[in-house]
Amino acid sequence: MAVIERGVNNTPSLTTIKRSPLVRTLGAAVAALPAYQSTNADAPPEFTEVGLRYSHYSEDSLSEDKFIAGARGRYDIDVTQLWIEAPIGSSWSIAVDVQNDSMSGASPWFVGTQIDGNPGVIMSGASIYDNRVEVGATTRYFWADGNAGFNVTQSKEDDYEAWAMAFDVAWNSDDNSRTWSASASTSNDKVEPVDGNIPVFIDREDIDTASIYFGVSQILSSTAIVRIGLGYTFSEGYLSDPYKLFDARPDEHSRTALSGGYRKFFPEAQGAIQIDYRYYSDDWGTDSHTAEIAWQQNFDRFALTPYLRYYSQREADFFSVIADLDEKFYADDFRLSSYGAMTVGLRSSIQIGEWQMEGQLERYESDNDWGLYDGEAAPALVNFWRATIGISWRFD
Amino acid sequence: MHCALKFCSYWKNKIWQHCRLFCLLVFIGITGCSSLEPVAAWERGYLAEDAMQWQSSTREAKFKGHVYTSKEASSGGNGAAGGGCGCN
Amino acid sequence: MLKLTTHPVITFGAFLLCAAISVGVHSDATTKQDAIPAPEFSLPAIANAEGVISLTSYKGAVTYLDFWASWCGPCRLSLPALDVIYQELAPMGLKVTAISVDVVEEDAWDFLARYPVTYPVAIDTEGSVPKAYAVNGMPSGYLIDREGRVRAVHVGFKRGDEDALRAEILQLLEE
Repeated sequence: MAVIERGVNNTPSLTTIKRSPLVRTLGAAVAALPAYQSTNADAPPEFTEVGLRYSHYSEDSLSEDKFIAGARGRYDIDVTQLWIEAPIGSSWSIAVDVQNDSMSGASPWFVGTQIDGNPGVIMSGASIYDNRVEVGATTRYFWADGNAGFNVTQSKEDDYEAWAMAFDVAWNSDDNSRTWSASASTSNDKVEPVDGNIPVFIDREDIDTASIYFGVSQILSSTAIVRIGLGYTFSEGYLSDPYKLFDARPDEHSRTALSGGYRKFFPEAQGAIQIDYRYYSDDWGTDSHTAEIAWQQNFDRFALTPYLRYYSQREADFFSVIADLDEKFYADDFRLSSYGAMTVGLRSSIQIGEWQMEGQLERYESDNDWGLYDGEAAPALVNFWRATIGISWRFD
Repeated sequence: MHCALKFCSYWKNKIWQHCRLFCLLVFIGITGCSSLEPVAAWERGYLAEDAMQWQSSTREAKFKGHVYTSKEASSGGNGAAGGGCGCN
Repeated sequence: MLKLTTHPVITFGAFLLCAAISVGVHSDATTKQDAIPAPEFSLPAIANAEGVISLTSYKGAVTYLDFWASWCGPCRLSLPALDVIYQELAPMGLKVTAISVDVVEEDAWDFLARYPVTYPVAIDTEGSVPKAYAVNGMPSGYLIDREGRVRAVHVGFKRGDEDALRAEILQLLEE
């Protein structure tokens, strides 16, 4: 390795410039010069990166006072993510992602009434085991003012198979202060429920989904950036949950999400505040607010990020604590009820040479009382822990 | 084709109000931001910090989206939707 | 049936791709006549030179001036690539200087420790030199001829750019 000689004059910026009368025209003249461009923002990754990430997700067991029958232990999921991302030639990159989810545990089957008159959950019998494998490939093309990517992903489980395709593009304004982005995706899911501990009543069903997104981000200053986005998703097909006894949902679902984000860096503190917000609304009567706030503190090669997330949703029109089978559509799924939820977490990462390591721990709790919207409490609301460790390596 | 037409009709009716709000926000934003002095190429060091990115990592964003979409009624807000899974 | 769901989406996507690709356009090289004199500067050296580096000291030589930063991704490719060209063409009279625009000098040292180079490196923590050169992307390279005129500007850096750059430098060296 070459020895770096530091100049004897260490005084920063001993700058003197003689202004030629033509200097002012240089800016304009730059456009007329040959530019083998690609700005900082729109260049392929410089090096190849490989990474491995392992997460454990664990839901709390259903509490005694909300439980009627079945197995009380809910889902535990081990998630392994493996990826490689590499530059191809001078203007392309390719990424391959493989994810394996291995789940076990029981899930709510239906809600009934306990002896004391309160609603209680009948869980699926013994533990269910399932494995999901997802493989995705993304190619991306970079040019001077932007980039465009195309992704194909397949997800496969015993009882479920999904294919998705997505296209996205981002382009920058002339001064690189503003970035427009748009994406479109489509997916086809096939549901083929298997009889296990609980009986199912369908053979094979389809879900088709199409989605578009449009967004813009703007640099506000050398330390602040803001963005806003609008997304729309439409699904059609079998949208009920085949593993719930009383679940009949409309066969169409249209959703919109309006989102915003803000980042501000504080050079003296060597940290940044990260704020994100999303408003979601759909034609099943649900709408929701999501707000996230984080502070990333840098310590040389080490970074620590504590974060908070608040979420609150309004119940779907056809939700009731105990499904009302007289209606055309009905569901007792806690995920369609009114509630509020908090996530508290801590993320850390360290960079050593070309290696990067990360660790993350978070706790999610949901409660009907924390919500912004009216609606009865579903007994099966979920709380979980999640822990992640990961490592990645860059090489030429 | 049937689905495509439906997609368009929903686009027109259901999300029109969001679209108007979005367009209004973008318009106000661009008008307001046009008076901003563009940040010079050599002054973008802080903007290049990891802490200033929209996602802490692509894989974390994917994981997070997956967990919340399967446990909550809402989805979206970060690009177009990906494929589904039978997660419950 | 449901199969056609994809149609509006694909059409939309194809439209965006076409619109996007039509954006990138390159321009031709400048002739000697409309070339602009390179602004003079004098900056503290941080590697491979002592004291102050100024443009006057390269008078009469073909010079490549490269603005870079430790936080700039493509600079991890451009600085080493430039070093290969420098080692090859320095005997023919090529001068190279890299100017770091880092605000914190230590960040520049860390970068050079990871990606070492043999040409002189200077630093401008206040950004007045890149301003004088109207730097419009990171990295930005300025090819200056023997008469001190800017003959080409390279904004950004991708793999393979070094070939075109080498050819251009050779052309100026032979003038």
